[in-house]
Amino acid sequence: MDPNDPASLQEVTRVLQEEVKLAARPHNYLLIDLVTRTIHIKGRGLDLYRIPIIAWSMKAPSAVHGTHRLIARPPIARRTVDPTVSVEQVPLSLADMPAAYTLSFTPALTIEVRPSDEEDLFRRLWAGTKNWWRSLNEWVSSFSRGESSDSNPYLLLELSREQAQSLAWSAIDEMPLVIRRATDKK
Amino acid sequence: MNSVAAYRFVVCSSLFLGGLLSAKPLTLSLSQNSESVSPAPASSVLPSAGSQADPLPSLSALQARYKALSKQLSRLKPQEPYILVDTARNHLYLKQRDDVLLDALASTGSGTILPKPGGTTDQWVFDTPRGEFFVRSKLLNPAWVKPDWAFIEEGLEVPRNQADRVEQGVLGAYALGFGKGYFIHGTLYTRLLGKNVTHGCIRLNDDDLKRIYRVARIGTPIIIF
Repeated sequence: MDPNDPASLQEVTRVLQEEVKLAARPHNYLLIDLVTRTIHIKGRGLDLYRIPIIAWSMKAPSAVHGTHRLIARPPIARRTVDPTVSVEQVPLSLADMPAAYTLSFTPALTIEVRPSDEEDLFRRLWAGTKNWWRSLNEWVSSFSRGESSDSNPYLLLELSREQAQSLAWSAIDEMPLVIRRATDKK
Repeated sequence: MNSVAAYRFVVCSSLFLGGLLSAKPLTLSLSQNSESVSPAPASSVLPSAGSQADPLPSLSALQARYKALSKQLSRLKPQEPYILVDTARNHLYLKQRDDVLLDALASTGSGTILPKPGGTTDQWVFDTPRGEFFVRSKLLNPAWVKPDWAFIEEGLEVPRNQADRVEQGVLGAYALGFGKGYFIHGTLYTRLLGKNVTHGCIRLNDDDLKRIYRVARIGTPIIIF
């Protein structure tokens, strides 16, 4: 951070202010730093785990304010213990976590996570079509309401497959999130 | 079809085709506007100082605020040694500030579910809880008082007599309780360390458990993610 750049300092201060509130509670929280391209899983102000962001893009960053809370995450196929089976049952592991998924927050914020190794053409096309379809729906609904379609912030994150799974593992219901946005001064 | 609907159809159709045709490899394009991913696209950044409608506070005021908040955040961090548990990778760390005093292989919750008997939709979920906890009890040679699920998952009847629930020697020489029946304890199944196999407790081998037991006090923070 450049301590002599007021815009960058103001953004860092805004994030710190949110963090102080979150770190005072016994819950873990997420801090996505788009400047350093790092997702921090934090608790009590401590960095518990860091996830490098390979690439990102964001829509409507100015609509990101304060702390967002996770309200929807990808479903996890938990295995049910069967008392009639004597064979050791396979537990859940990091490898069972999805690598491509969407996280929804309140106030409105959507984060889409994609693995960087998604090389399969059909998967890529499917992801592109899904993304495009979502934009189209947003556009059509905002068009019919006469509003701007860019009002809800949307963040696309590209992570390594393992780290995307790691984030899916660590993201729990109601988990708070703060985003440090990029300023255009580097 | 009226003219507005026709216009929307034409625009939507062209956008749909355009979206399909512009689907490129992720390494080339990520944003919906097909902007370059690296560095961050211009549409994804905030305006710089001076270009915003709202005036910024003075630089010195911002610097002072930043300093004060950083100090405040720093004060919230544990000053004494604390226990950090990574449930995804099954590691337990004993840390003091940024120093790692111990890195131990652990076993944490399996994430499996067990339906409760009686035909209800209730179920046990065998997760290790996440968040911040504290060491609430320190036990020597703990006995395991088996809860209902320990019998049900084995297809056994839940005993009525409390004494029939007690099992000695399965939790190791020490246990640290952190609330709601969760403990850091030892294990007979050391081959399963590093895997998510427990009912929510955190298992360690004997040596690591001993070290943690010696350092931890009642009130030592346990942060689990």
